[in-house]
Amino acid sequence: MKLTRSWLDEFVDIPTEDPAELVRDFESLGHEIETWHLIEPEFRGVVVGRLLEVTPHPNADKVRLTKVDVGDETLEIICGAWNFEAGAVVPVAVPGAVLGEGFEITRREIRGVTSNGMICSEIELGLGDEADGIMVLNDDYPEAAERLGADFAEIVGLPDVFYEVNVTPNRPDCLSVYGLARDLAALYQTDLREPDFSLETGGEDNPVTVSIEAPDLCGRFSGRMVRGVTVGSSPHQIRWRLTQAGVRPISNVVDASNYAMMEYGYPTHAFDVEKLGDTISVRLADDGEEIITLDDVQRALRSTDLVVTDGSDAVAIGGVMGGASTEVSESTTEVFIEAAYWDPPTILATSKRLGLRSEASARFERGADPSFCPSAADRVAQLLVAHAGGVAAPNPVDVNPADTQPWEVTYPLSATARTLGVDLDGDTTADFLERMGFGVSGSDPLTVTVPTRRPDVQRPIDIVEEIARLHGFDDIPDSVPQGVGVGLPMQERRMRLLREVLVGAGLYQTMTFSFIGESDIERLGVAEGHPVTSAIAVTNPLNDTEGVMRTTLLPGLLKAAESALGRRNTDARLFEIGRVFLPGEGKLPHQPERLGFLLAGTHEGGEYDIFDGTGIWQTVADALALRDVAVQQTTEPMFHPGRCADVMVAGTAIGVVGEIHPRVTETFGLTGRVVAAEIDLGLLTMPRDPWTYRTPSPFPPVIFDMAFTVDASVPAAEVLASATQGGGEFVESVDVFDVFSGASVGEGKKSIALRFALRAPDRTLTDEEAGEVRRSIAAAVSSDVAGELRGEL
Amino acid sequence: MSEQPPPDLEELRQLAAGAPERIAATSSTDELSDLETQLVGRASLVAAARRSLGSIEDPKERGATGKAINDVAVSIQAALDERKSALASAERDAALANDAVDVTLPGKAPLRGTHHVIQSTMDEIVDIFVALGYDVASGPEAETAFYNFDALNIPETHPSRLESDTLYLDYGDEAEEVLLRTHTSPMQARYMEEHQPPAYVVVPGRVFRADAVDATHAPVFHQIEGLAVDDGITLGDLKGTLAHFAKEFFGPGTEVKFIPHYFPFTEPSAEMHAYTNGRWIELLGCGMVNPAVFEHVGYDPDAVTGFAFGMGVERMAMVRHGITDLRTLLDSDRRVLEQYK
Repeated sequence: MKLTRSWLDEFVDIPTEDPAELVRDFESLGHEIETWHLIEPEFRGVVVGRLLEVTPHPNADKVRLTKVDVGDETLEIICGAWNFEAGAVVPVAVPGAVLGEGFEITRREIRGVTSNGMICSEIELGLGDEADGIMVLNDDYPEAAERLGADFAEIVGLPDVFYEVNVTPNRPDCLSVYGLARDLAALYQTDLREPDFSLETGGEDNPVTVSIEAPDLCGRFSGRMVRGVTVGSSPHQIRWRLTQAGVRPISNVVDASNYAMMEYGYPTHAFDVEKLGDTISVRLADDGEEIITLDDVQRALRSTDLVVTDGSDAVAIGGVMGGASTEVSESTTEVFIEAAYWDPPTILATSKRLGLRSEASARFERGADPSFCPSAADRVAQLLVAHAGGVAAPNPVDVNPADTQPWEVTYPLSATARTLGVDLDGDTTADFLERMGFGVSGSDPLTVTVPTRRPDVQRPIDIVEEIARLHGFDDIPDSVPQGVGVGLPMQERRMRLLREVLVGAGLYQTMTFSFIGESDIERLGVAEGHPVTSAIAVTNPLNDTEGVMRTTLLPGLLKAAESALGRRNTDARLFEIGRVFLPGEGKLPHQPERLGFLLAGTHEGGEYDIFDGTGIWQTVADALALRDVAVQQTTEPMFHPGRCADVMVAGTAIGVVGEIHPRVTETFGLTGRVVAAEIDLGLLTMPRDPWTYRTPSPFPPVIFDMAFTVDASVPAAEVLASATQGGGEFVESVDVFDVFSGASVGEGKKSIALRFALRAPDRTLTDEEAGEVRRSIAAAVSSDVAGELRGEL
Repeated sequence: MSEQPPPDLEELRQLAAGAPERIAATSSTDELSDLETQLVGRASLVAAARRSLGSIEDPKERGATGKAINDVAVSIQAALDERKSALASAERDAALANDAVDVTLPGKAPLRGTHHVIQSTMDEIVDIFVALGYDVASGPEAETAFYNFDALNIPETHPSRLESDTLYLDYGDEAEEVLLRTHTSPMQARYMEEHQPPAYVVVPGRVFRADAVDATHAPVFHQIEGLAVDDGITLGDLKGTLAHFAKEFFGPGTEVKFIPHYFPFTEPSAEMHAYTNGRWIELLGCGMVNPAVFEHVGYDPDAVTGFAFGMGVERMAMVRHGITDLRTLLDSDRRVLEQYK
C-alpha cells in the first residue's frame, strides 16, 4: 500500500512531523515500511498568481501577453498556452525561480517585449504529465485564489512524505489510507475523522435492478447510479495522489473508483448504463463461456468463476475485472457503480487461473468488509458528482443475502498473561480493543464484538494479537527458559567429526543445488536403468539446468571443480554432504544423505589418483572408528574401469571411490585424472559402541618379512587377509611394503612383500614359535590365493 | 723379557709439566686424540715407564715410582678429559650453528580445507540453542503439502502455495502433493507428532523457493527453525531467547527490536530486527505457536503454549561477514572457500 503523509493527515492527527518516527509507529503496529522518502517540490520560487489581463503579443501570434497579479506586484509575462483567460489562478515562476535540475527563470525579451517570468504547466513543475497548457487552479485548488503570492508548493501540499507499507495478509482492512489511519488513531489514542458519505441526489429513480443467483459466493451487491457524467480528466490532487499510490490516472470516472478504493479499501466497478441496460444478475459462469475483459483479451471462463451479467451475457468477471462491452468510454453519461462482496477463495482461484491479479482482486481475496458496500458506491458517486458533473439517482441498490453482522468472541483475561507474559486488567484490555473499534462488554470473560472489516479476528488468540500490538512488544519483559535437551545428539556429533576429518584431509566443503539438469545425468554417460537415471522431475523448474532432483552428488562436484579450475585454481579438493532424491516406497522420495568428494587438477606437480581417494576414505573410517572396513575392486560406468572401488563396511557396499572415466571428465570440461567418491552416510554417522581398552604387551615383537608370488589378478587385500588369518593370534600387524612384477616373477604374476610383527601379551615369543607362525602363514597364502613363498621359510 | 732401563721420573715430570700447555694448544678433538695417544697411549713415555717398573727390584721403591707414574698419568688424563669435553662442546655448537635454518621458510603443513560458511554459521547457531537445552532434529527436504502447509495452518488459498513460490515434484499420486519444503517449519509438526511436550528443538536444513538466482535470492538456501513448547511459555520467553541469541551471535551489545508481523502458524507473530554494523536489519520471523498448529499435531492448546522462529542462515552469514551478493556463497573458487575460516 503506497500513500502520502498528507493523505493520512485528512483522517488522523499524527502527533509527529518526523517521518522516521512515523515509520517506527507504523512498524509497532505491524505495518512494516518497505520504503519511504521525502517528496520535495521539483521547483523553487513558484508562486500563486491571478491573470488580470490577457492580450495579443504585438509582434507574435503564437504567444500572448499577460498581466499577472502575484500578490505584491503585477508582472508582465508572455505565455504560449491558450487554455486560460483573465481570472485564471495559475502557478507563476517569477524571475529567480528554479525548475527541475537548475533551469533558472530570468527576465527575457521575446520579440521586443520583456517577459518577467513563466506561467507553468504540470510537466514543467514535475507534478504530472498533463502538457496541454498551463495548470489552472481555480477548480482544482480553489483556496489558491485567496493566497496570491503564496509559495505554490504549499498549495499542492509539498513537501510531503511517501510511504510504502507492507500490509500483512491478515489485515485487508489496512489496504487503504483510512484503514491505516484507523490503526494510527488507535495507537495515538486520538479520534479518527469519520467520513461523510452523504450524497445530494436528484433526477429519476435508478432503473437498474440486481439479482444474485449465487448468494453463497456474492454475499452483497450494492450500487448507485449517476447520470449526467462528463468524462474528462480528474482534478490534479486526485491524479497526483493516485500516481503516488502507484495507480495510473485514466479518467474522472475510472479515477473516482480507484481513488475511493485507495481511500477506503473497497474496490468498485463502473458500468456504462447505456451499454448495460437496466438488469444486473450475478451467477457462476458456464464452462467455456467467454468474455472480452477491459484489457481487450478474450477469456474462457469455468463454472467456478463468478460473472456479472446483463441478465443473459457476462459483462464482468465478478471481483476480478470488468468487461469491454459495458466499459465506460469518453461518450458515457450514465454510470452504475457496483460495490459487491465476493467470496475470497473464489476470487483467488479465478484471478490466479486467469493471471489477473489486481488491486481489486488482492482486496477481495483477503476479504473486504461487506458492511462497507453501500458506502463504497456512494463515495464513488460523491466523487462523480464533485468532479464529473454527475447527478446521483435517489435510490441506491443493496441486495444483501449474506447480511454479515459483527460477531462475538469470548475473551478470558487470563489469555493475555498466558500468551504474552504480562497481566492486563479488564479496563486496559477493553481500552485497547475499543480503540481498535471492537465492542467490549462484560468483565471476565469479556464479550468482544468484532466489526465485519476484521475477518482475521475469530478466536481469543486473535484478540491477544491485537492487545500485543497496542501494548507494544517492547514493553513485555524478556525471559530465557531453559529447555530439556542434553546437548548435541550423537549423530550430529559424528557428522561434525566427519566434516572435521575431511577438512583436516585438505578438502573444502562446498554446497551445490539439490537439483540438476537432465543433461547433467546424460553427461555421466550411464545406460538407462542405472539408479542415477531415475531422477524425479521438478514440476515447475526455474530453468532446464534445474529440472530434476539430483540422484548423485557427482555432477554438482564436477561442475564446481570445472568452475574452480576455470578460474585458474591449480586444483580442486571439494566435498559436499547432502541429500539425493530417489524413488522410494512411501509418500515421499527416498532422500539419503551422502558424502561426495572430488580431487582434480594438480598438487605439488602431480595429479591425484585413486589412492588419494581411498586414503581419504581410510582416514574417515579410522577417525569414525568404523569396524570391518574394506575396499573392493568394482566397475561403475562413470568411473575408470580399472580404478574404481566399492567402499565396504561390514560386508555391505556403502559407496564408490575411484577415478572418473575420462569420457565423463571431458564432458564436464575437466582434464587429467579426477578422483571422486560418493558414500552413503547412514552407517557412518550411526552411534557406535564404546571401545574397550587393551593393555599393550610389554614384550618385544618378532619382526620378519615374507614375499609371495601370486597371479597378477589377486588383490593385495586378499593376500593380506589370508596372511593375517593364517598368522593367528600373535599377529600384531601386517603391512604391504613392496609389490612388483616383471621377468623375475614370471608372466602374469606379481610379487607382494609383507612385513609382519608378532607379539604375545605374556611373554617373548621364541624362534620356534615364530617359525611355526611363518609356516602357517605360508600354508594359508598358498591355499587361499595360490601364493608361492619367495625364498626360504 | 728384555732388559729395560728404569723409568726416568724426571723426564716424566717434565712431560707432566709441559702437558697442559700442549693440551690447551689443541684445536680439535681429532688433534687432541692424537696428543692423547702421544701422552698416555701405548707408545707414550707414561706407558713405557709403567712397563719398565718391573726392573726396579726394591718393592718399596717400585711402589713409590709406580705411584709417581700414576700421578703423572692421572694429571695428564684429567687435563685431556677437560679439554676433550670443551672441544666437543665447541664442535657441537659449531655444527649446530652450521645447521641453522631460516625458520621463516614455509612449514611442512598438512593440507587443510575449510567448512563452508553456511555450515559453520549453522553449527554456531545450533550450538547457541543446544546450550539452552534444545534438541537438534532434521527432516525431509522433499515434503508433503500437508506438513509444509496444512499442518501449519496455511490456508488452501494462501499465495505461498502457488507455483510461482513453491517448487513441486512430479512424484507420487496427485492426491498427496509432494514439494520441496519452502521452510524448515514442517519439522515443527513432525517433531511434535513424535515427541510429547515439553519440546525444545532446533532444525537446521535446506529449503527451496521458486526464486531465480540474484544478489539476494537463490532457489536453494538454508534455515534454522526453532520451537519451544512447554507449560507456561510466553512471548516474553520468545523475546528473551531471541535477544540472547542475537547477543551470542553478533556480540554482547547487540540491540534487537520486535515488529509485529503475520504468519499463519504463529500468533502473535513478529519479525526480529537487530542493530548491527550501524543499521537495523531484519533477522528472522517468530511468534507464539498458533493453537491451530497444536490441534493438528494432537497437543492440547489449553495445556501448553510455545514459540517458534525461523531464520535464514545465508542472511546471518552475509550480515556477519560483509558478503553483499548471495551468489558468493555458491562459488567454489578456492580464493572464496579459503576465506571460510
